[in-house]
Amino acid sequence: MTPELFPALITGAALFGIGIYGALSQTNLVMLLMGVELILAGAMVNLVAFWHYLHPDTPAGQMFVLIVMTVMAVEMAVGFGVAIARFRAIGSVEMEEAAELKG
Amino acid sequence: MAMISAQTFFISFFGLAAVWFGIVVFRTHSMMRSALALLFSQTAIGAMFIGMQAEFLGVLQIMMMATEMSIMAIFMVMFMMDPGGLGKMDMTHQKRRSVITGLVAFLAIVAVALFTNWGTLAGSVPDSAQQIEDLGLELMGRSMLIFETAGLTLLTAMIAATAVAVEPLKRNRN
Amino acid sequence: MTTALILLLLAVGAYLVAVIEAWTMNGRWQLAAPITAGIALLGRESIVPRKPDRVFFEVAPVLLLISALLAATVLPLTPGLIITDLATGVLFINAALVYVLVALLMAGWGPNGAYAMIGGWRFLGQLIAYAMLIVMPVTAVAMRAESLLTTQIVTSQADLWNILYQPLGFVLFFVAAMALAFLPPFDLTTATSELAGGVEAEYSGVRLAVFRLGRLVLVITLAATIVVFYLGGWQGPWLPPWAWSAIKILAVTALMLLAGPALPRVREADLLSLCWKLGIPLALLNIFVVGLQVLVWP
Repeated sequence: MTPELFPALITGAALFGIGIYGALSQTNLVMLLMGVELILAGAMVNLVAFWHYLHPDTPAGQMFVLIVMTVMAVEMAVGFGVAIARFRAIGSVEMEEAAELKG
Repeated sequence: MAMISAQTFFISFFGLAAVWFGIVVFRTHSMMRSALALLFSQTAIGAMFIGMQAEFLGVLQIMMMATEMSIMAIFMVMFMMDPGGLGKMDMTHQKRRSVITGLVAFLAIVAVALFTNWGTLAGSVPDSAQQIEDLGLELMGRSMLIFETAGLTLLTAMIAATAVAVEPLKRNRN
Repeated sequence: MTTALILLLLAVGAYLVAVIEAWTMNGRWQLAAPITAGIALLGRESIVPRKPDRVFFEVAPVLLLISALLAATVLPLTPGLIITDLATGVLFINAALVYVLVALLMAGWGPNGAYAMIGGWRFLGQLIAYAMLIVMPVTAVAMRAESLLTTQIVTSQADLWNILYQPLGFVLFFVAAMALAFLPPFDLTTATSELAGGVEAEYSGVRLAVFRLGRLVLVITLAATIVVFYLGGWQGPWLPPWAWSAIKILAVTALMLLAGPALPRVREADLLSLCWKLGIPLALLNIFVVGLQVLVWP
């Protein structure tokens, strides 16, 4: 038991939960991306907390956060690329209208 | 009853702010507000990083997210035609299942956080200038291959995304 | 104490910027004009447009002022006169300045007016492009100083100022700073002739006064940033450090403001293609050249 970790870990968990809710419940592609951003943000909070409280002498922990941050930006770029292509093709980015992707 | 240290208070305060703005993202009807609420959530996370003495990461987070979420805002308005926050359209589906999944995920992670033995707390953190130097040496030394691979993969993804998004050439244009 | 002194200096700086700006516009030195104009604005009614996004409308001018002030906290005016010498000072300046974008987006969206909104979205495109030209030349500056401390950057220029060591970076940064402060010819955000004031259009009274003050502080902060990064900060012969800082900052401000009335306003599309197709390749070249210089000529 290390209570010092809890504020950060619980924040991370809450952000992850909210992100999951958003990614599953939103009907708009851009809102869905916001959910994914929150999930990644929750992961970053946990990573920094582990680095700070458990392994402050390992810079690899910080490097991992840097990569996650870049992934967030690229995830958004890819998401918007898809959104623009989708909008050109059918004129909307609603998830309900993407039923042809259903397996 | 131990005293709550200033650092714990700082982290908890900004953690609460991040969570609250995170909830606002999905509760407001205005696209612009939702994007900027996400920005403030991320900024609060940056402040948490600074509270956890990761100064470089915190400042970087605060800087990157401002541009990122502004771009988010313009895409939201472009695709959704925001009616000034007046629309009462429902933009959710499978709401019950989503709420339950989100809650289960939250509780599961909290349980893991509470019942895992995280080992002993490490000592003091190196100061910020030292951290930046270590991080640079790590990036350009031991982890260089990982970083280059990740960079190349992300670059490919970015080029592919741009290629998908550009307007297709019109053939038979007279 | 230092904080109060720097705030006072920024206030004086903002006043001087207003005087110089009036001089570049109409060629006369009107020393009382900024004060009377400010008092007049404070006395006027502060109108709230119909159906605004109230939170954004109220927060935007204050956020603009705060982000400009925050950027000034890590700039050294003399060896000791600096509020916080952050280990990530250079990055912190960028982080604070990006919030100018957030403030202007809010100011564009909040009042629920067409001109304001167009101005806000224009600034989004402008800043995302030109923020690159802020960050990339600054990378080269930090490479030479081998540090992100702003004081370290000033002392690294003891032998040769960065304006001579990396002239390309200076030009790019200068242009980007003008675009960031939406000074003419880059004032697409507040273009008086086409957008009737742009993001300023719906503001009046106290809120407009805060907005204009924020912009003046932004200009003086950017001038100080240029001085710290490229013109050797407080260094110089004969005169004391504070005098050199003051002279250089005022000279850079005057240069930034003088360029405006002489040039026609750039079109948005030209502005963006100029940055993405010419500016960013040049900035990469600058980083490369400075890297070589640092290796062969430390």
